[in-house]
Amino acid sequence: MLEQLLPQLVNGLTLGVIYALIAVGYTMVYGVIELINFAHGEVYMFGAFLCVTFITAVGMPFYLAIVAAMGCCALIGMFLDLVAYKPLRKAPRLAALITAIGMSIFLQNLAMVIWGSRPLPFVQSAVPAYLNETALSFSGVYLTWLQLFIFAVTTAMMLGLMFIITRTRIGTAMRALAQNKTAAALMGINVNFVIAFTFALGSAMGAVAGILVSVYYNSLYPTMGYVAGVKAFAAAVLGGIGSVPGAMLGGIVLGVAEALGAGYVSSLYRDGVAYAVMIAVIIFRPSGLLGKAVIDKA
Amino acid sequence: MKFGWCKAVLLACVVALMSVPAHAKTVKIACASAFSGPAAAYGDNVKAGVTLKVEEINAAGGVGGAQVEVLWMDSLCDPKESNTVAAKIARDEEIVGVVGHLCSSAHLAALPTYLRAGVPAITPTATNVAISDQNKDRKGLVWSFRDVYRDDFQGKFLARYAKEVLGVAKVAVFYENNDYGIGLKDAFVGEAKRLGLDVVGEEAYVKGTPDFTPQLTKLKASAPDGIFLSGYYNEGALIASQAKKIGLDVLKFGADGFDNMDYIKLAGDASEGTYITTPFLASEAGPEAQKFLADFKARYNRDVDYMSANAYDAAGILLQAIEKAGADRAKIREYLAGMNTPEKGYHGVSGLTYFDEHGDAQKPAFVKVVKNGEMVPAQQLK
Repeated sequence: MLEQLLPQLVNGLTLGVIYALIAVGYTMVYGVIELINFAHGEVYMFGAFLCVTFITAVGMPFYLAIVAAMGCCALIGMFLDLVAYKPLRKAPRLAALITAIGMSIFLQNLAMVIWGSRPLPFVQSAVPAYLNETALSFSGVYLTWLQLFIFAVTTAMMLGLMFIITRTRIGTAMRALAQNKTAAALMGINVNFVIAFTFALGSAMGAVAGILVSVYYNSLYPTMGYVAGVKAFAAAVLGGIGSVPGAMLGGIVLGVAEALGAGYVSSLYRDGVAYAVMIAVIIFRPSGLLGKAVIDKA
Repeated sequence: MKFGWCKAVLLACVVALMSVPAHAKTVKIACASAFSGPAAAYGDNVKAGVTLKVEEINAAGGVGGAQVEVLWMDSLCDPKESNTVAAKIARDEEIVGVVGHLCSSAHLAALPTYLRAGVPAITPTATNVAISDQNKDRKGLVWSFRDVYRDDFQGKFLARYAKEVLGVAKVAVFYENNDYGIGLKDAFVGEAKRLGLDVVGEEAYVKGTPDFTPQLTKLKASAPDGIFLSGYYNEGALIASQAKKIGLDVLKFGADGFDNMDYIKLAGDASEGTYITTPFLASEAGPEAQKFLADFKARYNRDVDYMSANAYDAAGILLQAIEKAGADRAKIREYLAGMNTPEKGYHGVSGLTYFDEHGDAQKPAFVKVVKNGEMVPAQQLK
């Protein structure tokens, strides 16, 4: 029983940091405009497909293709905001939510039209070979360089994000917007620009997650964003939606709960265990692990 | 008979009027499968097979002089959607028969509608056992046939193969939590226990998640010499490569759901040495299949998978029934039900197909193994 514990924790952690990376996109957008951007999972999927396309069609090297895909996904995120959410800024929240679901379906089918519905392997020839080699192996744990790469990239991106949010002007503007949109606008903050920037940032992070997942699992398919999106959304809620450190913690808790649930409870209840943990947290802390209790503005 | 004369003349006029300006008569069949959504890749295979058959028949003049038109109905492999699609097919009187559905769950959901409305269906891929009990209307007439073996046959076959050919003693099972995965697993486990194999672990997964490491870590702890993957190739490829990553390097074997070249493409090295049962093996197929293999490769630029081969034959059987019995749902059913002996069977690319009293076909299983990035025939179980 116990010999499984360490490997399961590593499994959960790898899964968790990726959830965290996606969850950040949900939580940032929610923090700023109180919208659950259900199309975020599709941006994550587009990140993976664009990266592969840049490698195969344009011939970019791996790392450059990642950056290019991030840039494109940032544009997709901004475009989503522009066409789908901006016109509904003053509409009831439900309208924007349904639009988000619509955009999700649209993007998923668009990807099927462009790249087909068959799952594709990642272009392994473009991936530096050392990434797939075993870096560490001890007591039943096998860690590849890729896993370490995933941990490193995720940590770096999270720190970068925290820096942007807490130390820069635009980050301050984002936080101001999250507190009170009207007051922020009165202080001379360009609200639409800040919202667009938030979408761009979250989408770029989502793209990285999509690429890392498709390299790690060596598979990408148009519907990959759905389950990942749902899990990441649950992670964001678990951590406290609107809170960036909460999304990170939520992702990791959810990933580890899933791995331990499958290992020690029953693999049929793998997701069940993860969601049960989420529900238990929400019952005792309705605002999530690190969320602040907000007084409803209405 | 006066009455008959009048009617015949009138009918002849109507037919003449209708057929002169229109191009030619058409006969409509439906192909219900998954063309979008998570299972769209399988639907693609079925579509390829049916398309090839129908185009061949049409190029040769159609059935009884009528061109065949296929209506592609997207049932998403989803029971709810499948129900809607079945109702649409049943309502459209011009549709005389169905090739489909793709997934067992979807087929089971569509059956009540087909039975009520009297629509004959041939599924090339739905292997679930329950279909045999649920495909008869109140009069006991079978409306749904299949040109593929059942899961229990396949599961038992694999258990025997694992013991007799592969020499496995301790076996673990990793199955997908749906009708296909569970049906197959149950048959496998039952037979394995009967044969004295030690089933050391059974774990499940749900479609759509890309991560299987927790379950695999658990299975690894039970130290099996072989692992039976009861599911489809998309997940199977991920499972194989993750098993390799966590150091679970044992014999793997899967059923027909693995029979797709994408399995090798996705899993890479990790797919090496995977044994796969299949209803169709190019090397064991007769000479009439060779043209099909070549045509398929030329048209789609990939090798034939069993779904395409079975779909090609399912369409062939349905069109033969239309040709012989006429474009009438009840007569087609009668004709299909009459294909109940080897002599009256259909010789297709996937071998001889004839139906028993439950509409099931007794088709053989073959075994392939992945070697150097190719699926090659393995030692067959005699």
